Order: sequence, then structure tokens, then C-alpha cells
Amino acid sequence: MIGRDSRIVIGGVGVAGGFGCGVAALEQALRGGEVRPGRMTLPMPDGPVEIPAFMSDTTPLKDFIPLRTLRRVDHFSRLALLGAHLALADAGLPEAERAGLGVVIASGHGATGITFAFQDSFINDGDICASPTHFANSVHNSAAANISILLGATGPSLTVTQFHLSVPSALLAARQWLLEGRVERVLFGAVDELSRLTGHYWHRQHAHFAGIPSPLHTGAETAVPGEGAAFLLLSRAQDADAPGYCTLDSVTVGRKLPPRPLAPPVGLLVLGADGVPETAARYAAAAAGSRIACYTPLYGSMPPGPAFDIASTALALRSGSVFATPGGSSCDFPATVVPGGTPLGPGPAGILTLDDDDGHALVMLGRIRQPA
Amino acid sequence: MPPVAITGMGCICAAGQNLGDCMTSIFSGARAPAPPVRFKSNHPIRYPVFEVPGFPEDPAMLRTSALGLHAVREALSDAGLDRQTLAPLRVGVCVGTTIGCAMSNETFCRQAHAGANPDMAPIVQIQRSNPAAVIAREFGLSGPCQTVVNACSSGTDAVAVAASWIRSGLCDVAIAGGADELARITYIGFIALMITDDSPCKPFDRNRKGLNLGEGAGMLVLESESVRARRNRKARAFVLGYGSACDAHHLTAPHPDGAGLRRAIAEGFSTAGVSASDLAFVNAHGTGTPENDKVESRVLREMLPGVPYLSTKGYTGHTLGAAGAIEAVFTAACLERGEIPGNAGFSTPDPDLIATPVREVTKVAGTIALSESLAFGGNNAALILGRGETP
Amino acid sequence: MTTTEKLKKILVEELNLEELTPADIDDDAPLFGEGLGLDSLDAVELVVLIQKHFGLEIKDMDEGRTAFQSVRALSAYIDGRLNG
Repeated sequence: MIGRDSRIVIGGVGVAGGFGCGVAALEQALRGGEVRPGRMTLPMPDGPVEIPAFMSDTTPLKDFIPLRTLRRVDHFSRLALLGAHLALADAGLPEAERAGLGVVIASGHGATGITFAFQDSFINDGDICASPTHFANSVHNSAAANISILLGATGPSLTVTQFHLSVPSALLAARQWLLEGRVERVLFGAVDELSRLTGHYWHRQHAHFAGIPSPLHTGAETAVPGEGAAFLLLSRAQDADAPGYCTLDSVTVGRKLPPRPLAPPVGLLVLGADGVPETAARYAAAAAGSRIACYTPLYGSMPPGPAFDIASTALALRSGSVFATPGGSSCDFPATVVPGGTPLGPGPAGILTLDDDDGHALVMLGRIRQPA
Repeated sequence: MPPVAITGMGCICAAGQNLGDCMTSIFSGARAPAPPVRFKSNHPIRYPVFEVPGFPEDPAMLRTSALGLHAVREALSDAGLDRQTLAPLRVGVCVGTTIGCAMSNETFCRQAHAGANPDMAPIVQIQRSNPAAVIAREFGLSGPCQTVVNACSSGTDAVAVAASWIRSGLCDVAIAGGADELARITYIGFIALMITDDSPCKPFDRNRKGLNLGEGAGMLVLESESVRARRNRKARAFVLGYGSACDAHHLTAPHPDGAGLRRAIAEGFSTAGVSASDLAFVNAHGTGTPENDKVESRVLREMLPGVPYLSTKGYTGHTLGAAGAIEAVFTAACLERGEIPGNAGFSTPDPDLIATPVREVTKVAGTIALSESLAFGGNNAALILGRGETP
Repeated sequence: MTTTEKLKKILVEELNLEELTPADIDDDAPLFGEGLGLDSLDAVELVVLIQKHFGLEIKDMDEGRTAFQSVRALSAYIDGRLNG
């Protein structure tokens, strides 16, 4: 049964993205207010094309796992493993506690790089030469499987895909597990990679915007694709002052926008707007009149984006004040962009995610008193 | 945990395009796997599969989503629900699948590989084909919407996720199940793993060589007690409990002792408040691969001695993400009938397997059954179902 | 290049045995378990690699198991089939 009094605490955060690797790198990006996108090169019919992209480096994973162990692990799973290890290290979870972890993973596209490589294997040499290793790694839950295997996590495992709502949808499941008492802790993570395949999709379907994204402007597309992993260690806590970043108070996921105002009154509403015009107008309608912030220009446009939004908000809740929205306070719709450094009140903060298919999600995070 | 009522069911697979036809077919023992019709392979061996014959292609969506929608229509009609009655309710959708959301298309990849600028139409189709979203869109549903991609246990896990939504009051009605189409990429992949039988699959048999792939969808309508009371609907079955656990052992091989499966079954029992002696039968995963059947029969023998079991994959093939849902539907329908079909493909006991499945149609006593799934990545899921109120 | 040399190169490169060079592989070391530490997924990958690089089909794992004892055993198996 769902206990009314049990709270869920975010006790560890592990992030890897275009801004770098680890909570400190994210916090530095949030304080600095700008991350310059890198570039990815795509082989195209008329020669290589370079597109701006927030790429993520998995080299630091060698600090956690020997290279030999990773010999069959592709970039997608490496991203996830990096996020997972960073979150566990950040929370200071002892190795002995890993066995009972539940694992919940959100991924919009799955392991697209290895999926392409698998197809390459039989396109090149015939169906009889298809690579079984590539096939096994191309399964959508490969990241969750690799995490469970390498951490020895024998609790339940779930992978969810719902494109841009993958994160809140999966987070709902993680929350249910904790409230039902199935597990004491859930390692929750979101991951997607920019592969040759997803890069190609982006190249064909989006403008090649080369500057810094300005997602609070609803005109031309300013989205830059990103890749990365954002992981959270969630646990049940009876104690209101349990150590951690913040509490995970509620997760609401649904379709068809409810009548406005969408959000309950919150001190801060963090928008997942990412510079893609299809959703900009919907964010404008849903967030009108709210006190808002938006951090997607620091990591780019990708299905795990909302997990980075949650990580950023968790950092703000722990520090007690709002990080400035990159690019300044100008906004094309009637909302207040909360200035950097504004103290956060005792009220919750919301993370709003919308997709282009009438879907919406609101994740509410609450403050916990930090030890002096 | 309180039971969650199942008020409607739908199913489509090689055994039939609705649940009634499927049950008639599997209880007659019929099965006819054959090499794939919808695609070709240059592999020298033609492996038999269980395709759904004559199911029309829908250019608007992937076959996976179309199969799912087909089974949902049957399940909703069985539950006496339509667009109008659903409109004021909070209705969630949770669907398990494997390939239905993979952002890849072979035609696209071949063109890209050959240095062309591929047509984006297949990609746009994939982007509009998330199986849960397709159902939510079609019926204008407003509740949570989730696609579970837990490989071959997806369908079982999805039913449990939806039951959890109903229990906690997140929605009034939930459409839950699984869907997967037979795809060339998967067909080639399973052959490469050398776990595909070049003859009709033989779950738990001494001469088993592997699985045959199949396709289809199974869907269930779960309903809150308050809505069910208001509508005065009888339950066809109940979700009584569920457990899942990861082997954390190997990407493609099950744990040799079935460690994760044991934990999943134990959690299923504890959440349902039942024990092994309460079970009428087990619908096993039983793919027909040497390793799966070995581990599974061992766990069944040790944890559930004397409980009759069978695999229905000899009638449907392995429908991957749909399998757990199709088998949940079969399990519920068998509890209704009070009998289970024989385990198709089983004729010679394997001295290495310490338990054997039922060979022919068998009456079962009791009102509770277990349906279990083992998956890639070491996922294990156990769903405990109870007989409903219908006569 | 001898079959043995070619095999070692394939093992290192295609199975991503990151820290090994072909010269590090002992002809008689077991490929699976202790030794090179390969597993069941590598075994089916090896079947494909032998198809791809030597044009030889290994139809089932019973056949593979004997051939996959060591690099020496596998070279002898490949040479036997190529010259047989």
C-alpha cells in the first residue's frame, strides 16, 4: 500500500553532457550561464556535414570500470554507466547496498549507434554475417541490463520509452515502486546518444542553428541536439530532514492539456522548452503567468532533457536560490523569468515537460532543510 | 495488495485474430509455423515463424502499433467500453514492446549506407508509432501513457505497471498489454544468436533447438472497483500479484540457477498473498531454447513441485514484447475454462530437465495461476492472476 | 599470414580485447572461461567471424565447442576444412 508519510528523497545526482561530467560541472555551467555547443560530423551523400551538437565524453568511465570489462559496451551504455556511477558516488552509497537497487531507465531512442552498426554488419556481408553482439546490445533495455550486471543490482529493472515524455513517464514508475515499498532505493536514469543515425534524423528534420539556443523565444528554431545521461538516486525516507538535494513530491503525466493554470502555484517552474518551434507555443500557453526558468541551452535538445531539468532544479533547491536562465530574462510570452540568485521560498518547484503530441508532465520537487 | 479487476481482454497472434479464435485453435492443438512471407532473407536456412496471416498493413503506423490497436478494440468491446464511456474517465495506457519503438528502419539504413539521402517517411512513421501513444491518440485518452521496453518480459511488466496505477488511484481504467510485429531485423538477430530452431519449436523437449519468432498483441482492460461498481461489470479475472527481479548476470544468458526468476516468483507470491500450493497451473516462458527451458524447468520443479505447467509458445511463437501480455490473456482465459492446452512441440522428455510440461488438454483445479517471463538483460517477471466472477 | 596469426588478429580487433595484442595470446590458452575469458555471446560472435573471414559455416554449437578450445584447435579446424 502507498504510505502517506513516506517521502522520496533525491540523494545523489550523476550527470554527463555537453557541459562536462559530474554535478560540479553542471553547477559550474548553471552559474556560468553558457555552454558552447560542440560539433558532430555526419557522413552525407555530398560529403561530410558538420552540425552543432552538445556531445558527451565517456572517458571518465575508466575511473569506475576497467576498460576490459567495457569491451562489448557501446557508447549508449557507457553514457548510462557513467551517469549511474556518478550518481552512486555522489550519494555515497556503499557498494554493499547496490544489490537491492531497483533500476529504472528512460530513453527516447535507445542504442541507435549499435542498431546502425548491427544493420551495417548484414548489409556488408549478408544476413549470415549479422553480428549477434551488436544485436544483443541494440535491445532497448541494454543500458539497464549493463548497469544491473556491472553494479550487481538484482532488484527490479524497467526501461521506458515515450520520446520526449520518457523521463516523467519512467519517473512515475520509479516513484510507484518506492511508495509501494517494492524497493528501498531506485537508481533512476535517462540516457540518449547522438549517433550517426539520430544525427542524420536531426540533420534532415531540423534547422542547423549554430548559436546559443533561446528556447523562451517562440519564433525561429534555435534548438541544438544533445546527448548525455542524467541519473538520480531516489530513496524512501521517513525523516523529513533526510540528507539529499530535495524531495520528489509528485509526478503527473497525462495527455490533452488540462484547463489552465496547468501548474499549482509554485515558486519556480522549470520549462523543458528546447527551441523546437512545435512545442514552443504550447509551453507559452501552459506557463503564462508563472515564475519560470529554463536550462536546456546548457545541454541541448534530447529526450533525457527533463532529467537534466530535474538535476538542475535539485541543485537550486539544495543551494536555496535560483540559477539564472541562460541568455537572460527576455521571454516571448507573459511569464516572469526569475533572476539568478533569487531565494527559493519553502514552496515546491515544478518541472514542466510537453511534447508535440498533446502530452504533458509535471514533476514537483520540495526543499529539505540543509545541515548548517 | 488488493486485487485489480480485468474486465476486458483482446488478443491477436498466429493462432487467431481474436481471443475466442485463439483459444479454439490452441485447444485443438493446431499450429503451422512457416518461413516468413512478409520479408526475405539471403540466409541459406529458412527458419519457420508464426506470422499473423492477412493482417493489413497501415501506412500511418508500424505494424506493431496496428496489432496493438486491433487487440485494444477487442478488449474495450469485451469490457463494454467505447470512446463515449471512456471520455469522462481518467484512462491510462501501458504497452510493452521491443522493436516497435526502435528508431531504425532497414530501408533507411540501406540507403544511408549506400551514400544516398534516404526518404524520411519511415522515420516519421516511427516517430508517430509509439504503441502506447497510438492507443491514447486513437481513443483520446488523458491518463498516463507509457511504453515499456523490457525486451521479452515487457508485456508482463506493462500489465503490472497498469495495475499499480489503478491501485494507487492514478487512473480509473487502464489499457495494458504488449504488441510486437515480426521484423526482418529481429529475425536475423535471433538467427545470429543461434537460438532459433529451423523446425517448429519444441519447448521443454529433449530435442529442442531454439525458438520460433512470432508476432501479435495481447491487451487487457484493468478497472478500478469504483468505476466497475458504477458500471456493474463483472471481472473476467484479477491481477493478484506481481514480482520482478534482474539476474544481473549476463546480457543474453539466464542465471544458471534462475536466481532472478526465483526472486520474481517469491515477490509475486508475497504481493498476492498466495503460495505454490494455491496454483492451478503455470504458463511458463518456455521459448524452446536449450538454456531458457533448462533454467526454467529447474526453478518450476524446485519452487512449484507438482504444479502443472506449459508453454503456449508452441502455438504462437515467441512474440517478444507481446508475449507476456498474450500469455496473461491466455492464462486468464484458461482459468475461466478450468483447463489448459497441451504443451505443443513436447514429445520426448529431456533427462536434463527435472520437470516436464503437460502433453495434452488438462483439467485444472483452482482459481489462481502464474504467468512468467524471462528476458534479455536478465529480467524476470511473474504475474499472478486469479479467476474472475463470470460463470 | 598464417591462420593462427590471422585468428589472433581477429580475436583482438573484433572482440575488442582492449589491452591485448595478438602476440599476447598463447596458442594453447583456453578461449573461454579462464584464459582469454570469452563467454557464450563471444562464441556466437566467433561463429560469424569465421563465416565472414574464412567463409566457413559452423552450423551449431556442438560443432563449435570442440573447435573453440584454443587458438591452436581453432586454426587446425579452419585449416582442416579449408584444405579438406
